[in-house]
Amino acid sequence: MSGIAGRLLKLLPLTEPAREKLRLGAKRITATSKHFRKSPTGMAGLGILVFFVILALFAGQVMVLLSWVSDATGHPWDTAYGPFEITGDGVMRPPSPAHWLGTDDNERDILSRVIYGSRVSLEIGLVAAAASMGLGTLVGLLAGFWGGWKDEVLMRITDVFLVLPWLALMIVLATVLPGGQSVSKVIFVISITGWSYTARIVRAQVLSLKERGFVERARAIGSSDMHIVRRHIFPNVFPLVFANAIITVALSILSESTLSYIALGPPPTEVVTWGNILYGASQRNAMGNELYWWIIIPGLCIVFVVLSFTFIGYALDEIFNPKLRKR
Amino acid sequence: MRSLRAVLFRKMVNAIITIFIVLALNFVLFHVMPGNPIRMMIPQKPNIDPGYIDMMIEKFGLDQPWYIQFFVYLKNVFTLEFGDSFRTKTPVIDLVLDDLTWTLILVGTSTFFMITIGMTLGILAAWKRGSWFDTGSLAFSLFFYAMPTFWFSLILILVFALELRWFPPSGELPIGMTLTPFNLDTLAALLDHLFLPAVSLTVGSIAAFSVVMRSSLVDIMTEDYVTTARAKGMSEYRMLKEHAIPNAMLPMVTLIALDLAFIVGGAFQTEYVFDYEGIGYATIIATEQDDYPYLQAAFLIIAVVVVFANLIADLTLAYLDPRVKIE
Repeated sequence: MSGIAGRLLKLLPLTEPAREKLRLGAKRITATSKHFRKSPTGMAGLGILVFFVILALFAGQVMVLLSWVSDATGHPWDTAYGPFEITGDGVMRPPSPAHWLGTDDNERDILSRVIYGSRVSLEIGLVAAAASMGLGTLVGLLAGFWGGWKDEVLMRITDVFLVLPWLALMIVLATVLPGGQSVSKVIFVISITGWSYTARIVRAQVLSLKERGFVERARAIGSSDMHIVRRHIFPNVFPLVFANAIITVALSILSESTLSYIALGPPPTEVVTWGNILYGASQRNAMGNELYWWIIIPGLCIVFVVLSFTFIGYALDEIFNPKLRKR
Repeated sequence: MRSLRAVLFRKMVNAIITIFIVLALNFVLFHVMPGNPIRMMIPQKPNIDPGYIDMMIEKFGLDQPWYIQFFVYLKNVFTLEFGDSFRTKTPVIDLVLDDLTWTLILVGTSTFFMITIGMTLGILAAWKRGSWFDTGSLAFSLFFYAMPTFWFSLILILVFALELRWFPPSGELPIGMTLTPFNLDTLAALLDHLFLPAVSLTVGSIAAFSVVMRSSLVDIMTEDYVTTARAKGMSEYRMLKEHAIPNAMLPMVTLIALDLAFIVGGAFQTEYVFDYEGIGYATIIATEQDDYPYLQAAFLIIAVVVVFANLIADLTLAYLDPRVKIE
């Protein structure tokens, strides 16, 4: 590793092994990103994602910016509308200079709702994917490492979650679980339905790693199971899990929007997501009233965010998965 | 090397275990979790006949401790006794089986087309690897894969039913018509209504098939026997048709089984948006009206159907692929 970063590392108050570990980690990341930059799909995905992350983090500022643009073109807005703000400009109006995407049934500005909607949609996608990855990795590691009847039990349970239609299970869980509607319940429901595939691939990877020389050596010198899993198996499984996790984020965002569309998502009175904007649109027959943008724009946002994660996931998979390397 | 019979036996035992776990899961969700199972079987309305309440409590053992209830529940499941729908007051099982027919029509048609179209795209992409067609078909299929099915359905209705008026926007048959086999008028009306939902369900899932078919074929084209065939001067077309494609089809069988969980999820959304009264539509309506008996029976029946479909795919694979025996 070169120049500035190397010198910076030396300045940190670290022990020599820790510094070496950091250096190796950084080297790995640099190598991966070098491969990643060569993948056009990966970079396109990253570009789209950065756009939406900026939208989510700076939703308020983006609205202020857009209001300046509107001012400059001679159509001043009253304020940079908030997602729940009642604008007083009429119910269900088509797009106009004052409301670029029109207003909904509660006189709210749809553009503002779409921009703020990116926050919860991304948040639920990321957290739910992280949770299901964690659960899947744990089950896969344990099943693969233990083997025998414990493996058998875990795999039969995994199979159930693998074959059950995910939406049916999510609907039943969201309806039957107590506690009303909330963001955390939606995250729970999505992650409980989404972990099984990860468990499968992690287990397969662990089974092949277990037979490899370095694991046998570690065992021969008396390393504990915990140590072997943590230091030898997990680091080798991680890249695969990571690529898979990115694609799981895409699926989680799709799940959230679907649940919200059938009124099983987070409460629309407190939280705005792209899914529940669409739910509102269909409840108020936006289509029959020719308010097409109310339907088209939030849907396109979902499509592009999901696409960005899928692209990044594919690109990473190609880098990490030796089977897919360019031939 | 195990015998084919042993493999088949094991697959069947696994399927039975899976169904048993599903039964237990269903029981926990609907009988243990809510605290008060009576709420799940008897409508909470003041004008319910007390005799009916007593009969239901007796029939489902709702006043018994949970472990006794579990056996009563098992007995009821095997005699297809799921109670009465809160919505229609008729036995739930009749409704579910009726709705299932419609779902099977939709899922069957769409699955057929997604397999044939997806495989064709995958074969062409692998054959013309690296060409604009390869990149284009990947981008095309991923774009539709990223689309929430419910949103794609909305857009189809918008364009082809409301604007162009080529197809009816909702329903499965014109009002007053019932499904009679071998009747041309009914068949025409059915196809007319089925077209848009089937397109919606098919297009989103093409990616899964084309991507796997492509990579599986690309994989096989590096095998020695393909090189040999080429060296012998066999034409590219014959080589693909006789050597590569039949072998590349094997992963597709597994994929169809795995993907069924997603296809059914897509069918739920399509049915709901098109008011196509299959099991998915009715399930979502059941959540809106707290029709728990329907929800419970539908979930169980779907799960059993999907597990059996998986079993059939597994058995087909074991029959087609001699390597399964060695596994």
